Amino acid sequence: MVGAAALVVVPLAPPVQAQQPVTLRVAIVQQIDSLNPFLAAYQASTEVGRLMYDYLTAYDAKDQRPVEGVAKSWEKSADNLTWTFTVPDGKKWSDGQPVTARDVAFTYNLMMTDPDAATANGSFVAGFESVVAPDDRTVVIKTTAPRASMLALDVPIVPEHVWKGVGKIADFKNDTAPVSSGPFVLSEYRANEFIKMKANKDYWRGAPKYDELHFVYYKTVDAAVQALGKGELDLVNRMGPAQFDSLKGKSDITLNKAQGRRFNELVLNSGAATKTGEPIGDGHPALKDVKVRQAVAKAIDLDAIIARVNGGYAERGTGLIPPVFPDYHLTPAKAWPFDPAAANTDLDQAGYPRGSDGTRVGPDGRPLKFRLLGHASRAYDEQAGEYVKSSLAEIGIAVDVQIVADTLLDEYSVAGKFDLVFSGWGTNPDPDFILSLHTCGARPASPSASGTTDTFFCDPTYDELYAKQGAELDQAKRSELVKQMQQRFYDQVPAVVLGYDSALEAHRNDTFASFTIQPDPGGVIMAQNGAWGYYGAVPAAAASGSSGPSGLLIGGIVVVVLLVGGGVWLLAKRRGATAGDRE
Amino acid sequence: MLRHVAGKLGGAVAGVAAVVVLGFFLFRMIPGDPTVTMTRGRQVDEAQIAELRALHGYDRPIVEQFGKYVGGLLRGDMGTSLFYRRTVAELIGERVGPTLLLVGTSTLIAVTLGLWLGIRGAWRRDSLFDRTSTGVALLGWAMPAFWLGMLLSMVTGDLFPSGGMRFSSTPPGFWPQALDVAHHMVLPSLTLIAVVYAQYQLVMRSSLLEEMNADYLTTARAKGLRDDQVRRRHAVPNALLPTVTLVFLHIGLVVTGAITVETVYSWPGLGLLTYEALAGPDLPLLQGTFVVLAGSVIVMNVLADLLYQVLDPRVRAS
Amino acid sequence: MTSIVWQRRRAAVSSTWREFTRNRGGLVGLVVLGVVVVLALLAPLVTDATGLDVTKAAGDRWQPPSGEYWFGTDHTGRSVLLLTWWGSRISLLIGLTATVLSVAIGTLVGVTAAHFGGWASAGLMWVTNFFLVLPSLVLAIALSTVLPRGIGTIVLAIGVTSWASSARLVRAQTLSVEARPFIERAKVLGGGHAHVIGRHVLPAVLPLVFVNTTLTVANAIVAEATLSFLGLGDPSMVSWGSMLRAANLHGAVSQRAWWFLLPPGLGVVVIVLAFTLVGRALETVLNPRLRGDR
Repeated sequence: MVGAAALVVVPLAPPVQAQQPVTLRVAIVQQIDSLNPFLAAYQASTEVGRLMYDYLTAYDAKDQRPVEGVAKSWEKSADNLTWTFTVPDGKKWSDGQPVTARDVAFTYNLMMTDPDAATANGSFVAGFESVVAPDDRTVVIKTTAPRASMLALDVPIVPEHVWKGVGKIADFKNDTAPVSSGPFVLSEYRANEFIKMKANKDYWRGAPKYDELHFVYYKTVDAAVQALGKGELDLVNRMGPAQFDSLKGKSDITLNKAQGRRFNELVLNSGAATKTGEPIGDGHPALKDVKVRQAVAKAIDLDAIIARVNGGYAERGTGLIPPVFPDYHLTPAKAWPFDPAAANTDLDQAGYPRGSDGTRVGPDGRPLKFRLLGHASRAYDEQAGEYVKSSLAEIGIAVDVQIVADTLLDEYSVAGKFDLVFSGWGTNPDPDFILSLHTCGARPASPSASGTTDTFFCDPTYDELYAKQGAELDQAKRSELVKQMQQRFYDQVPAVVLGYDSALEAHRNDTFASFTIQPDPGGVIMAQNGAWGYYGAVPAAAASGSSGPSGLLIGGIVVVVLLVGGGVWLLAKRRGATAGDRE
Repeated sequence: MLRHVAGKLGGAVAGVAAVVVLGFFLFRMIPGDPTVTMTRGRQVDEAQIAELRALHGYDRPIVEQFGKYVGGLLRGDMGTSLFYRRTVAELIGERVGPTLLLVGTSTLIAVTLGLWLGIRGAWRRDSLFDRTSTGVALLGWAMPAFWLGMLLSMVTGDLFPSGGMRFSSTPPGFWPQALDVAHHMVLPSLTLIAVVYAQYQLVMRSSLLEEMNADYLTTARAKGLRDDQVRRRHAVPNALLPTVTLVFLHIGLVVTGAITVETVYSWPGLGLLTYEALAGPDLPLLQGTFVVLAGSVIVMNVLADLLYQVLDPRVRAS
Repeated sequence: MTSIVWQRRRAAVSSTWREFTRNRGGLVGLVVLGVVVVLALLAPLVTDATGLDVTKAAGDRWQPPSGEYWFGTDHTGRSVLLLTWWGSRISLLIGLTATVLSVAIGTLVGVTAAHFGGWASAGLMWVTNFFLVLPSLVLAIALSTVLPRGIGTIVLAIGVTSWASSARLVRAQTLSVEARPFIERAKVLGGGHAHVIGRHVLPAVLPLVFVNTTLTVANAIVAEATLSFLGLGDPSMVSWGSMLRAANLHGAVSQRAWWFLLPPGLGVVVIVLAFTLVGRALETVLNPRLRGDR
């Protein structure tokens, strides 16, 4: 009986190859916190958001300069306070309604009036005085002060006719057939399994060259890399050096080593304090001395960390902005040399003689023993911690590496209860945010509040430059100011930028021939400032529906074997039983 | 009988209550302030932190917090995950199905396999079959499930998917989906079966051996019954009962295996959710999975106990 | 008096030993255990611990086994052989300490519950049964999450969650010992609780506890590996579990680095099997009903 049932199963498995849509399958390793563009704060969520919704302006694929988004053109007033954007005719929402200036005004105004709508991107409208749409084609934004970052408003523009009917923004999931305007529209979302999107055939830039885009969840990058090797996936990013190396020499896989937007840093507690200057935490007093911090900068062997921990896939750190943004990246006039001997001499002269056990002692009699905190979730911290420890041992500083849970680390660093701590940031084309982290105002308001800063850096020179660059609308002058700020940061050493990670990506070349990278050359496919990578993907000539019919076959065989096996066993038992009973 | 059942159910309620209490106080032991985690990387002033603390009730006395927590649990409210920013109940709800599928299938196969091997082994005691199967079982039992999982996925190469429960590109419809899930489930369930079936086999084997020394079997044989009839009609049914109870007693072990196996194969179940909650750690989520996993194991045990009463006439009578 | 007792005990031990040596599996297990323990103890004497320091790693990353590195290298270029060797120390240390803790709690609870009886006993047995059915890894995970990372935490997490089965065993044995007439005699002669427990109950219960210990060690070593694999171990220590975690995290499977996966896993399997074989052999020796009628 059971065996017979199994035989019926086989013809039911349909011929899978018939008319499969051409699909790009992308690994997604991080969580999606929300598909509601007003709430989505995680990188993976904003990445999906960029595919669904255009921003007011976009960043060019080649050099990341502002280009057409929802708005095609813009101009600013002489006093730099009023910006007028023009939304051209012909762009459509996925339900066929036209995209207008009123949608833009609605989106920004919603964020300015509803605190829930400001959850993820509120900072972009923080300096707005008013946003109005006098007609369907024109948006006028007035700001309270001149702003350099008006062409970098990373806010998804939503359709007014849909969202004005949404009651409470914070409770709206936006995960079933949302109306959107980007190159892809959401078709199915299964939390922790996949996000399916369909190409928007009416996209104003032109339809994408394939039918569907699937983001498939993998819990670890390693699982995703295996899946790529097996042909279950087409595109993977965020690979570790070892995983990247393991794919070298495979003919059906193309590797992309790109300049990344992330950096790792070692923060030195140069004197944690509140906005009012009230000291908090229990940082080691010696780190308040800039000479000690500079000695640390000279003693750490950045090249060794890059070679051994990053597997060579990183660039030496200098300022807060990675070289992928050449307008703002700092090449210091005088870089700290890796020179433990000089660092030792400096410390000798600065009044930190070595004690009997080889550890230096400060003027207050306290030995230079630093705690170094690292994230339990980051393999980098664990390894780099060992390098920092052995480097600083060379100059008579003892380091106790403590790898702790991320929540605990956050708590210690917010409260200033650390000497050294690993940190890291991703940067945007506009440098304002990353620079703002190290201003006096980013420090916490009171000892028990939290600030955005991780260094607690507070330097009048830096703050003055920060204010100037924010209002400077001339690109060359602004670049110069930004570099001066980073030089100041570099000289004062509130943190040592260890390196800029390369973004390591790989894709199958038997299914997809090419992708648009940003910037070009040297740029990334995924995690761009835009959606060019997915949008510009070109299927390989031979690529038809690339689902695994062999997979279904194996699944079928397994089911059949189990059923037949069970059936045979039962039959044998039954026969044995009757034979036994007959006797 | 009724009183007995009531007593057992009372025990179950007390057990689950103990899990709830443990779940609450255990996760309050952790040093640190959850509001800091919620606000990391954001500029938040003291008033806002106080507001958050009040919103989540962290400023209330511990007893009151506990009352609120129990009240929430009764309504199915287990709080909000710090990292998913979604409710714990919703997250757990999504993951129950896959875990039940994996654990259920694997347990079923493991029990069948274990009992069969155990019976054969006991009957042909010290034969080559007995020695080999006991050896293999012990080997499986000694292996950490996650290690076996990693080995299997390395050895099988491209034969099976590297993880997950289904491909996104599988066409909709029952058969393609079911076959795809079956294909994905082969390695995880193989791993789980390999590490858990041994206990069923060993327990069955030794309890059958004890039965076989019993007097009534000698009597039965003396009456002229053939060996396999003696085995099937008398020894096996009697030995089966304690084994089945042990199957349920050991369900906790299967759950344990599921946590690491789901982690290795990215199987989107409760075990994987627990692992993901460890990274932060995401305490509300961890608390939720703890209460659900431990609570359901306790309930399963009571059910097994009751089933045992119903099945075994000797216990029923007393 | 005492000398007679000792003689009797010595005789019992040597007869048990003779019985034990007849069990081939148990003997093999014992020999393997001896070798592993000696190797683990010798590690600091015959190898150089600086090879464990990632900053001093001399080899290339992910090298397959060769004449220079017999077991290849890991993701940082350290020798897998050296890591496995040193890892055995932590795995054994944690396994044994956790077992001592677990068995101590179990014996205490079991003897107390059986000896004193009454409400206290009922309460203790309820707690024991509760811990018996509670999935111990789930509780151990919870414990090691809320306590600071370190060896102590792991030992505590394993010990506190795995004592229930010893407690039940010890209670049953204590009850049967206390039912014997000589206990009654001792009580009548004015022996206090301490006397009865210390002189009569414990000596009678301990052999069983010992058997139970060997099986508990096996469980504890797997539990350590599992907790470390889940990232709850001490990150500054090399154990077999932490090696497997690194293998999983850094892509040993995707690059088929079998040499990094096999040694620590086989280490766990060998140790656990050895302890299990010894435990089963002891069980057979002390429980004659299972002894074959060969």
